[in-house]
Amino acid sequence: MKNEKPPILQAVNIRRTFPGVVALGGVSLDLFPGEVHALVGENGAGKSTLIKVICGALAPDSGELFFQGREVRWSTPVTARAQGMVTVHQEAELFPTLSVAENMALAAGLPLRRAGLVDWNRVHRQARETVRQIGERIDVRQPASRLSVAHRQMIQVAAAILQNARVVVLDEPTSALSGEEARWLFQQIARLKADGAGILYISHRQEEIFRLADRITVLRDGLKVWTRSRQSAGPEEMIEAMVGRPASTLGAAPSGQEGSPAVKEGPARFQVSGFTDRGDRFRQIDLEAGSGEIVGIYGLVGAGRSEFARAVFGLRPAEGLVRIDGSRRRIDRPREALKAGIAYVPEDRLSQGLCLGLPVRSNAVLSTLRRWTRGLLASRSREQQATRQVAGRLEVRYRSTEQPVQQLSGGNQQKVVLGRWLLAQPRVLILDEPTRGVDVGAKAEIHRHLRHLAREGCAILLISSELPEVLEHSDRMVVFREGEIAGEFDPRRASPAEVAALALPRQRAGEASAAESLSPGSRFQGRSFNELALLLCVAGLGLWLTVSTEGFSLLNLLTHASLWAILGLAAASVIVGRGIDISIGSMVALSAASTAMVLKLPYSAELLIPLAILAGLLAGTAAGVLNAVLALLGGLHPIVVTLGTLTIYRGLVIAMLGGKPMTGLPPEFGRLAIDPATGFRGAVVVAALAVLLVYLWMSHTRSGRHVYALGSAPRAAGLLGLSKSRLWPVTFGLGGLLAGLAGVLQLSMGQQMQARLGAGWELSAIAVAVIGGVSITGGRGTVLGVVLGALLLRLVNSALVRWGVSDQQTDLVVGSLILAALLLDLAWRGWKR
Amino acid sequence: MSRLERVSAGADTVLPGRRSNHHIFGLLPWVLLALALLLVFSQVRRPALLVEVWVPWIEVGVLAFVMTAIILTGGIDLSVGSMVALTGMVQAVLWQDWGWSIQAAAGGALLAGALAGGLNGLLVVAGLSPLVATLATMALYRGLAITVAGGDRITGFPQSFLDMGRLLGIPSQFWLAGLVFLGMVLLVHHSRFGRWCFAMGDNRQAARFAAVPVNKVEGVLYTINGLVAASVAVLGAMRHDAAIPDAHIGTELQVIACVVVGGTLITGGRGSVLRSLLGLAVISHLDVGLQFLSSRLVWLTAESRLIAIGILLILVAVWNQRSQKEG
Repeated sequence: MKNEKPPILQAVNIRRTFPGVVALGGVSLDLFPGEVHALVGENGAGKSTLIKVICGALAPDSGELFFQGREVRWSTPVTARAQGMVTVHQEAELFPTLSVAENMALAAGLPLRRAGLVDWNRVHRQARETVRQIGERIDVRQPASRLSVAHRQMIQVAAAILQNARVVVLDEPTSALSGEEARWLFQQIARLKADGAGILYISHRQEEIFRLADRITVLRDGLKVWTRSRQSAGPEEMIEAMVGRPASTLGAAPSGQEGSPAVKEGPARFQVSGFTDRGDRFRQIDLEAGSGEIVGIYGLVGAGRSEFARAVFGLRPAEGLVRIDGSRRRIDRPREALKAGIAYVPEDRLSQGLCLGLPVRSNAVLSTLRRWTRGLLASRSREQQATRQVAGRLEVRYRSTEQPVQQLSGGNQQKVVLGRWLLAQPRVLILDEPTRGVDVGAKAEIHRHLRHLAREGCAILLISSELPEVLEHSDRMVVFREGEIAGEFDPRRASPAEVAALALPRQRAGEASAAESLSPGSRFQGRSFNELALLLCVAGLGLWLTVSTEGFSLLNLLTHASLWAILGLAAASVIVGRGIDISIGSMVALSAASTAMVLKLPYSAELLIPLAILAGLLAGTAAGVLNAVLALLGGLHPIVVTLGTLTIYRGLVIAMLGGKPMTGLPPEFGRLAIDPATGFRGAVVVAALAVLLVYLWMSHTRSGRHVYALGSAPRAAGLLGLSKSRLWPVTFGLGGLLAGLAGVLQLSMGQQMQARLGAGWELSAIAVAVIGGVSITGGRGTVLGVVLGALLLRLVNSALVRWGVSDQQTDLVVGSLILAALLLDLAWRGWKR
Repeated sequence: MSRLERVSAGADTVLPGRRSNHHIFGLLPWVLLALALLLVFSQVRRPALLVEVWVPWIEVGVLAFVMTAIILTGGIDLSVGSMVALTGMVQAVLWQDWGWSIQAAAGGALLAGALAGGLNGLLVVAGLSPLVATLATMALYRGLAITVAGGDRITGFPQSFLDMGRLLGIPSQFWLAGLVFLGMVLLVHHSRFGRWCFAMGDNRQAARFAAVPVNKVEGVLYTINGLVAASVAVLGAMRHDAAIPDAHIGTELQVIACVVVGGTLITGGRGSVLRSLLGLAVISHLDVGLQFLSSRLVWLTAESRLIAIGILLILVAVWNQRSQKEG
């Protein structure tokens, strides 16, 4: 090694095992300043585990990590990042409901002001600076879900540069970039190099590796095969090392050497004309494929090829003609495609292809179930028979038809998906990236089967972003670019450079999407719209009631709304972090009962009241924390846990009351919430204080923002070291505390404790949160929204009373309100799209 | 038997009696059931009384069998209790205020149930979270149930109608339960439809990409749920000679508890109807058994029964989770 400087990052003998698997069996790696070090290996070789260990998302079982000469043990990726160790993960690792700016800042730790609150000005300023760096116009306040994938990655890289990173780990950074954008990335890498940063570069693309890397390390089966300089390693040696056998024995199907069978006379097996996507991802596609023909479709990610395939299969609305064997077919949903003889192997095996928890059999026969039924009844033995037959044909390696498909390797899983469609005996087979993440051996087998299928008369559309795959395995190929067919080639004669050049977008892909995201009205999108609408409703109704109703008291309204706002916040604080607590009503009762018990002690009221309140709040908090602990320790869904504790807490309340309601509480206690003498409303003051504190916590502290991050994307949060086990006790505890506060207030207002107090309130609490715009799937919702939701609910109630509708119809109103809120939200989202 | 095979047996949910009982953990609910049964029968002198005590739990069971299928698809229906109350009130109002014959009114109730369930299905298909959508309709249907007759209960049904409350000396609820159980076992475990349910619960998107008609499955299931809720309401009216607007509050939670204790995953994709029967047996035996015992044991009060059931629910759920996880 000609490098005299000490390595900036050094991993020594890193071991990490998962139950039953040795992911890393003692791997060492070093990275020098100003170096690009490529890390390659097949899927499952241990690359991602190694990255996770290096960036602090995973603790190794043994081994040492040195960063800038000192041994380190990262506690979380955030601490690693703060010291200049930046990791840009593959796509998806992003918090879709958080703003672009917050996404950029979260990884490095949100900047704080002196008071310990998040410095949002700085967050936004830094974000704008980063965006300028890329030379794009992006609104940093919009939710990140509205960024294009390319933008997401460019922003992360840009942020790393601005942050003056010492080590940058790039995990498949170009998988979603267009040619232009990739060039930008390479420039940035050169810049980082010049600044003396070390770059660990993970990629599947050979061209990139040999263009960028100074040294290459190959991993296989959790072990390092070798590390060599680029000059001393050739592409063939690298593949050999990755696969573990000479590349020449892989038996890639020789392309078209059998010659494509003579295309039959008459109409093409598959033909589309004037095919246009309703969402404008592709336009005016004319394409045909004959029986026995493999048509390759090459294009970059985002060129519209996957959308085209999905539309043909009826998963996306599109216009235009589809003809199968000359007869016109209308395809609006997958079942119609299936009937027409079209099959589709989707691009993402794990999320779109397989039901991972179900057996091989269920996955294999899922689309052809009718064929294996006997009369009306499904027959497991016939399903097994079919599975065995097709699995045998495709040489799937599995142990039993009842084995969960998640236990198979990537290549075998992909064969199961392929087998599912073979059982359907398709006339047209569309494959979208059929060999992505499949090891080299299985890849060759899959290609062989495709050729075989074609020979049996199937028309095959092979979509891929790997140019060699398309060139080698298709009879004819077309290039997709920006939603149109840019050209057609004979793969045997086409030059790769020519094809690749044609696939590059003419206009920078980024500009189109940037223009999209800055469309007029973007300011009012999302939550601010929701709050605005709520505010208008509340103001309008409130005004109308004040003017039209004699004796309408705003103060009374606020007093009642206080309780509901607190309950709504109790539900919201849990839901935002992707939990749910349906024991809120029982916790209210538990805290009220605890308060009442203390108040009944034979001491003076002045002494007892503070103690009693404390007891109530403590009881609520403890109950909330217990919910979280049970859910985490038992590995249970929070609905199940809180369904249990709902009963348990209620039982405790009944036991505490001994079967009789508790009355005769000290009058001083009653005056806390509403003082009839002075008209002072303690309830409103307390609620306002609680709202303010919860707001500060949720919007202006790191831990509050971490809860949002967890709710928004748990996996991405995990990479930042945020987990349920750290945050749920806090959110559930806060929920319990607020429920406890509501219990104390209710007791003070009602002056009586009975066993059914608070029964069913959990649902109203969730209703307030949902009306206030809290997303039930987590990560979205604001304190202001919840407060407005509570106000709206009370106002509508008052309005109903004004109209002479009886008080009993609250349920009707609550129900309609939630539905209206949900449907509005749905319509709004649909319209935006 | 190797670990892998055990896992596959657990994932393959067709008949736990046939496959999962290889797994020693899977036996826990049975053991609990046997203990609870012992408790009950050691205390009873007149078994006929037992049948009557059990009717409310049988109603819960009927609803749990359908709920199992819904939960298997990854959904949930919180509005069942409200649907029972609403359809009961619809029947009574059609009969009393609209002058329909009681049979026609029962038909009307079934139709109302199908409509209410269908609306749930529509909302879910439209893309709302089932939890929130049915939370809303739960309140909505309850409100309607209270509104249709101004919050009053309606009684005084014709004797011929009340007589149908028993068939061959057994409360009709038991017959309904048998019917629904058989129907759901066939639907969930022995039909194409059931295979679809499992696939949807495991990975909804992958099911859609495999040409499973996810919207149809959801629409049908929620509608069935409404229909069955209405049947429970009609039989309930025969038994009590009353339609009660605030009946069955909290029933949805008991129903879900049966499904969960049985070992069906609350997130879908794994479980069985037979297991829910098991769950029902465990919870109801415990409840009924403790109720009988409480006449003798002073400390065994209503609250300790509640606490016991809550703890049981969590324990069994943890147990199921542990024995099904791995891999």
